[in-house]
Amino acid sequence: MLKPQVLVVGAGLAGLATAVELARAGIPVRVVDQAPTLGGAIHRQPLPGIRSMSSSAQSKRWSTVIANVETQSSAITFHFNTRFGGIDHSGAALLTGAHAALIRPRAIVLALGATEAVQPRPGWTLPGVMTAGAIQTRIKTIAEPPAERVILAGSGPLLLAVGAELCRLGRPPIAIIEASRPLSHLSAFRLPLNYLVEAAGYLATLLQARVPLIFGAHLTQISKTGEGLVAEVETNKGMRHYRADIIGLHDGIRPNDTGITESNVLPILRAGDCREALGARGAWADGVFGGQTLAASLLGLVAPLPSREIKSERAAQNLLAKIYAHKGATRLSDLPVDTIICRCENRSLGDLLSLGTAPTDRELRLDGRFGMGSCQGRFCAEWVRKLKAPLEPAPRIGAARWPTHPIAIDDFLAAFEDSESKT
Amino acid sequence: MSLINWQGNSVPFIPGETVASALLRAGVLKFGSVTTGQPTSVFCGIGQCQGCLIRAGGQIREACLLQCHEGMHVYELNGGRDA
Repeated sequence: MLKPQVLVVGAGLAGLATAVELARAGIPVRVVDQAPTLGGAIHRQPLPGIRSMSSSAQSKRWSTVIANVETQSSAITFHFNTRFGGIDHSGAALLTGAHAALIRPRAIVLALGATEAVQPRPGWTLPGVMTAGAIQTRIKTIAEPPAERVILAGSGPLLLAVGAELCRLGRPPIAIIEASRPLSHLSAFRLPLNYLVEAAGYLATLLQARVPLIFGAHLTQISKTGEGLVAEVETNKGMRHYRADIIGLHDGIRPNDTGITESNVLPILRAGDCREALGARGAWADGVFGGQTLAASLLGLVAPLPSREIKSERAAQNLLAKIYAHKGATRLSDLPVDTIICRCENRSLGDLLSLGTAPTDRELRLDGRFGMGSCQGRFCAEWVRKLKAPLEPAPRIGAARWPTHPIAIDDFLAAFEDSESKT
Repeated sequence: MSLINWQGNSVPFIPGETVASALLRAGVLKFGSVTTGQPTSVFCGIGQCQGCLIRAGGQIREACLLQCHEGMHVYELNGGRDA
């Protein structure tokens, strides 16, 4: 039987930082990722032969990460194209895909990254409407724009980043529609210098390409015509219409913690954006701290002091949230009643309203079917909560439980073929 | 040129790219429809939303995660005969 390892799920910045720290402490680590290579979302690697779209700052950070990983390569095993499904009552962890197996790790680190928030609006389920992150994933992987005409809308710094990347590919977006007014906050200058340099770079690229940046505006509706999509945009100068082939929506970053829960039989640590969305620098710092903390606890040593870097990244993210604050969520209750809220089960605002003024969790799920689809509420729970229980703090409906995603019976069977519990 | 087969039509792909990525280049935005009738398509692009489910090799897969292989047959979730 293999020496018990720590299982790290996710080969992005947080997962790699945790793996390196555990390995440094002499603890063998197995890292799994559903992607074919390491990098995660931020440092997603281009396919072989495709040019990298990374900025020089990003490339520099990635080289440092790789160098760190290489110093510990003898203690870290990587399994790509492999997904973590969950753990059972006995502490067995299910892996599916290329390295399907049922394994018994001594601890699990979940470094699952972030989820994008996208606020519902009429037409957001139409083919051709995707998250801004989905567009960025494509750009990073194959250095290709998703289509001829692209509109980016919603709120958050990612819109500017993706817009600038489209410009560098020679296909500037038709427009960027941002609900807040980030440039009219003087407090923006209190952001860390690296944030400002990054933002200035994006803005310079976008302005040079003459991309219309429409601030304080809302994309209120998307409809389909014979030749693509039409975006209806509410600005302070009235309604405007834009035609596009692809519309990228984005309303912020949230921890990707849907479905993950605690265990009574083994330690589970969350690291990086899936614990707290703090961005790239925060993810690495959080992974280092998490890895050191877990190593100390497994080896019976003194826990490290909380990292100062995490604190400063949290302050920067809080300031960023203030700069990007807007009242767009108040529009939810004014949406047409046939607007889809739950994408998986096609449940509308009208379906939600028909559950009465204060439905219980049980009514929302069993009668309403909200949060019951195959995304497990990742993309609707926040809005259902805002509409139906605005005063409750936790942005989820129902209790978290495994698995993290739907798993095919075939995948279960393949995992049992290679089960450590049989040895 | 490497090809997959989508609903009977050849679609070129770059080695290593996903089915969703190849289909988008080919202008295929709608992947099928679910039992309640709404069209399915890529949304999150990273395996979280389950919106881009398709059928390949007798299994239901996320098109945004599944890598293309030469000659692979890919079908709509609720349409077409499976390979």
